[in-house]
Amino acid sequence: MSNQGGVQYSKIAEIKGPLVIVDGVDNAAFDELVEIETTDGQRRLGKVLEVGNGKAVVQVFEGTTGLSVSGTNAKFVGKVMEMPVSEQVLGRVFDGLGRAKDGLPEPVADSFLDINGAPMNPEQREYPKDFIQTGVSVIDGMLTLVRGQKLPIFSGSGMSHNILAAQIARQAAIIGTDDSFAVVFAAIGVQYSEAEYFKRSLEESGALKRSVLFLNLADDPAIERIITPRVALTVAEYLAYDLGMHVLVILTDMTNYAEALREISAAREEVPGRKGYPGYLYTDLSTIYERAGRLRGKKGSVTQVPILTMPSDDITHPIPDLTGYITEGQLVLGRDLFRQGVYPPINILMSLSRIMKDGIGEGSTRADHQEISNQNYDAYSRAQEVRALAGIVGKAGLTPVDLNYMNFGDEFEKKFLTQAIDENRTIEETLGLQWNCVSKLPKNELTKVKDKYVDQYYKE
Amino acid sequence: MVAQGKIVWISGPAVKADGMADAKMYETVSVGDAKLIGEVIRLTGDVAFIQVYESTSGLKPGEPVIGTGNPLSVLLGPGIIGQIYDGIQRPLKDLAAKSGSFIGRGITTTPVDMTKQYHFKPSVAVGDEVHPGSIIGTVPETSLIEHKILVPPDHKGGKITNIVAEGDYALETEIATIEGSDIPLKMYHKWPVRQARPYLKRYDPTVPLLTGQRVIDTFFPLAKGGTGSIPGAFGTGKTVTLHQIAKWADSQVVVYIGCGERGNEMTEVLVEFPELKDPRTGKPLMDRTVLVANTSNMPVAAREASIYTGVTIAEYYRDMGYDVVLVADSTSRWAEALREMSGRLEEMPAEEGYPSYLASRLAEFYERAGRVRAKGSPERDGSVSLVGAVSPSGGDFTEPVTTHTMRFIKTFWALDASLAYSRHYPSINWMNSYSGYLADIAKWWSENISADWFDLRSETYGILQREDTLKEIVKLLGPEALPDEEKLILEVARMIKIGILQQNSFDDVDTYCSPEKQFKLMKLQVDFYNKGQQALKDGASLADIRSMEVVSSLLKARMDVKDDEMDKLDKLATDMVEQFKNVTGVKVQN
Amino acid sequence: MSSNSALESTIDKVLERNSSEFSQSLKNSLEDAQKTLSDALPMLEEEYEKIISDGKKEADKIEKQIVGSADLEARNKALLIVQESAEKVLEKAKEKIANMERNSEYSSLITKLLTEATSALNTSDVIVYTNSKDKDVVQSAVSNISGAELSNDLIDCMGGVKVTSKDGSMSFDNTIDARIELLKPLIRKDIAAQFNLGN
Repeated sequence: MSNQGGVQYSKIAEIKGPLVIVDGVDNAAFDELVEIETTDGQRRLGKVLEVGNGKAVVQVFEGTTGLSVSGTNAKFVGKVMEMPVSEQVLGRVFDGLGRAKDGLPEPVADSFLDINGAPMNPEQREYPKDFIQTGVSVIDGMLTLVRGQKLPIFSGSGMSHNILAAQIARQAAIIGTDDSFAVVFAAIGVQYSEAEYFKRSLEESGALKRSVLFLNLADDPAIERIITPRVALTVAEYLAYDLGMHVLVILTDMTNYAEALREISAAREEVPGRKGYPGYLYTDLSTIYERAGRLRGKKGSVTQVPILTMPSDDITHPIPDLTGYITEGQLVLGRDLFRQGVYPPINILMSLSRIMKDGIGEGSTRADHQEISNQNYDAYSRAQEVRALAGIVGKAGLTPVDLNYMNFGDEFEKKFLTQAIDENRTIEETLGLQWNCVSKLPKNELTKVKDKYVDQYYKE
Repeated sequence: MVAQGKIVWISGPAVKADGMADAKMYETVSVGDAKLIGEVIRLTGDVAFIQVYESTSGLKPGEPVIGTGNPLSVLLGPGIIGQIYDGIQRPLKDLAAKSGSFIGRGITTTPVDMTKQYHFKPSVAVGDEVHPGSIIGTVPETSLIEHKILVPPDHKGGKITNIVAEGDYALETEIATIEGSDIPLKMYHKWPVRQARPYLKRYDPTVPLLTGQRVIDTFFPLAKGGTGSIPGAFGTGKTVTLHQIAKWADSQVVVYIGCGERGNEMTEVLVEFPELKDPRTGKPLMDRTVLVANTSNMPVAAREASIYTGVTIAEYYRDMGYDVVLVADSTSRWAEALREMSGRLEEMPAEEGYPSYLASRLAEFYERAGRVRAKGSPERDGSVSLVGAVSPSGGDFTEPVTTHTMRFIKTFWALDASLAYSRHYPSINWMNSYSGYLADIAKWWSENISADWFDLRSETYGILQREDTLKEIVKLLGPEALPDEEKLILEVARMIKIGILQQNSFDDVDTYCSPEKQFKLMKLQVDFYNKGQQALKDGASLADIRSMEVVSSLLKARMDVKDDEMDKLDKLATDMVEQFKNVTGVKVQN
Repeated sequence: MSSNSALESTIDKVLERNSSEFSQSLKNSLEDAQKTLSDALPMLEEEYEKIISDGKKEADKIEKQIVGSADLEARNKALLIVQESAEKVLEKAKEKIANMERNSEYSSLITKLLTEATSALNTSDVIVYTNSKDKDVVQSAVSNISGAELSNDLIDCMGGVKVTSKDGSMSFDNTIDARIELLKPLIRKDIAAQFNLGN
């Protein structure tokens, strides 16, 4: 962008919702950063959404509350929004726009990066295949996380998604042989207590100095949420590709992000897609999620665990729906399991890790990993059918094999799935527990595993 | 005279420019100081509405817009196979060479290496009469593809007045001249992507496109030159199924379009395909594959173009006489790109904000499939089969893209989330899917595999249908309420699901299943069913039948028996006969 | 040439003439600042060392996790020092610029700042504001631009101009204060380098 920015305009044609429409503008660029100055000298940031015919539509991140048509000035800065980055961002806390929030001066920047990033060239991607041991059995065993993957947690209000994310961050961080990992945490419209929980959790594990926090809390401006994941990912990309770190990015809660996007779309009077969300929600979300990955010839990686709460636990709601189409799987928390007090309450049947197959097996975890996981899936799905049937016809109407499956289901949920918040299981332990579960079934029911593994691991 | 205007308005990928009276519809233009690539999609007075194929961040009103005089076109010539292109046929490798790991803007490249020397062997001589579409020579392109050099379909043809001798030439070399034409022939030509390439005549599709996937080939087949659609909610295994088709389909060329999908999926193809061997030729799959990748985070307008870029390349290889399969993942993202541009054009929306021309655009696309006699000489037939993924929002098959697509395709593979949740892959629902080619291709099966094929298939499918009805009763009363004959139906249906319908793409053996093996597996199950019913009549107990050793062998045969070990399946059949004798025998003795 | 570097080079020249008093340009004022800083460096380094060793002492006492926060603390303190130094350097530089002699090179700087502003606004029908010191220099520059006039109202700044369109709908702040504000992150980076903080 040219240096021609810096002009301040004072003719405000309209203010509606989060938008300010500036008139008489003949020197502004699409996407340009704008500084809005209020009558009382306050400064707010925004960006150009649309420009032409003398008008510029500016989206104000910090809201338009208190702005008036007269006396408000808009200065077009001459560049897109940038995030100052350097190694110094580690251990720091920023607000949702990437400004220091911990009472310290801004970090000294090595460079200033466009927060929108640029699309990774698919030809330059390195296919993710390095197993991350999270120490959480159900994830490591059946929904393996791989470096460079984007694996969201689909949750519902009040469920234990943040506890789970914090456990993943703590345990995945500690395990690696090298210490070139980092955690980037972006709170998007979440409550103070949730953000604080996460921060404390990192602090207690000594990982805070390898972490960067971006906090847009529930009472912070809603439109700022459009920016928060982007500044966070800009920092993550810098740490990964410039400094060679393995970065785990946690974005919580993406539902709040999408709602901010809907608010802007409504203010622009765009034709809405489903449930009032803009038709470009998919594309917009992809510009966030697709920033996970690995690159050929670069050491680091960006792994994303976005969290979203499904409105009314509805997985077909546009936010989880479109997210699921972009991410490489999903961890779905189940309300039933949560009510039963199971932690982590992951509903494995609805969950999936797409690139698991490439991160496990001989040389990485163990040769039988994929097959024993398939067998557990198969059996758990049968167990659920049998449970449903037992609910109708009673246990008496079940065959002996059906009863085996019921036992399997109980063992699976109580011994394998359930685990303590600070319990860090090795992959060997996890696989052992999986074999314990299927050993509740007669041998000839194990159709998904090769005989040699049955001989080796099945417990009579 | 090319148009030279100025930008007056910008909103995301949409740009308006005035002073564009000389511009033509669908002309490509250079936008702004950064020389971004765009395409004119509406003209009102001297104002052109342009969709820009690159990020417009930083673009300003007042910057120039310059026409190229040409519609959006692809370059067709040797060097296309094995490439990975973006939506407007720029090789991603070249983009990486110029802008690194992330895609920069305003980069121009050539779709194929114009300096490379190709070995051209003429097939016509001076004085020969050639027509539009005629082959004038060949160039070895990859280990699998001999590239035919064609007289461009829009060239009028005529008598060859000059042609080069066999030898190595670069693409720009003038290899032949034609009487009365001042346009010399080169080894490549350009073709506008939005215009279907002409052919002589069209055939009915009667030859199956074999994919090695049992549920597809046996139950819901696609024909060469046919159209198929695969809709499914996320997590139902759409991409894996499409990859399987791209890997194992018995076509000579595969065009794979990643349209608004994940970056890593394209990477996966790029990593995997060069390693995988074509089961029929033993050569690397990449030697027959072209990738067009416009991932979800790449500019949305180029997503719209990627579909046309891909299908035009497919038609080009069809015109050489090859069978081409084109896989588009996902047409929903393409439709969304249409919707986004339509919204910015402030057109009156139809259902769910999609433009009213969504249906006609889909129809136009699927109409480009077909098995055809190519134009020109020598006589040759080729086909383009189109397989489009649909990503219905919320998994709802009544949404506009799915419903409109269903009107224009003949094979429908409905992916089912509940099957996927129970890890039944491919999660193609056998009750909701259909194929309109079944009757047309039955002849091929009976001629090439077995005369019984159609009957056996009907019988197998019948068992599945019976099970579907019985399941309703079981839900209410439990399985014990059924008589043994019906319990056997449930049992065999379960065996068919595990032993035939399910297929593990990641298992070295199971990933591809030959037509012969497909037939034999099916026959084994049907035999088991018939013998089982007979055994029940003869007094055998269901429990004994269930616990026969052959049952678990039948379930695992898809993984245990390789395509060249058909004798093992024959052995299974004999074992089965023996074991049935035993169960009935045991019963009689007691 | 980008306007920033144009400004820098102009400032360079202006300041060079007064180098006996302070040193060089705004760009060079950084160098000067660094010199000042390097004089102060032994003292600062001492402090820096002390912080680290303090941190280490503490760290020995407690668990591994505390090392993390101690490291952080030390880093953060150093950051505060950088910030403080940067502020001081900037203050000094500003003082020098404010008191700089208004000679011919300065007036060519003013002309440049003015043209830049009018071209950004895309009109020369403007009202120009400046401070009392620059009034004369600016007046002579303004008189060369038809349509432009100098306002009698003075603004509070170190130097340079602020230009507003006559209808008041657009303005462009090209005071030296505004320009320095833009260069600030770069100045801080240079200072941090002195402390080996910028990696």
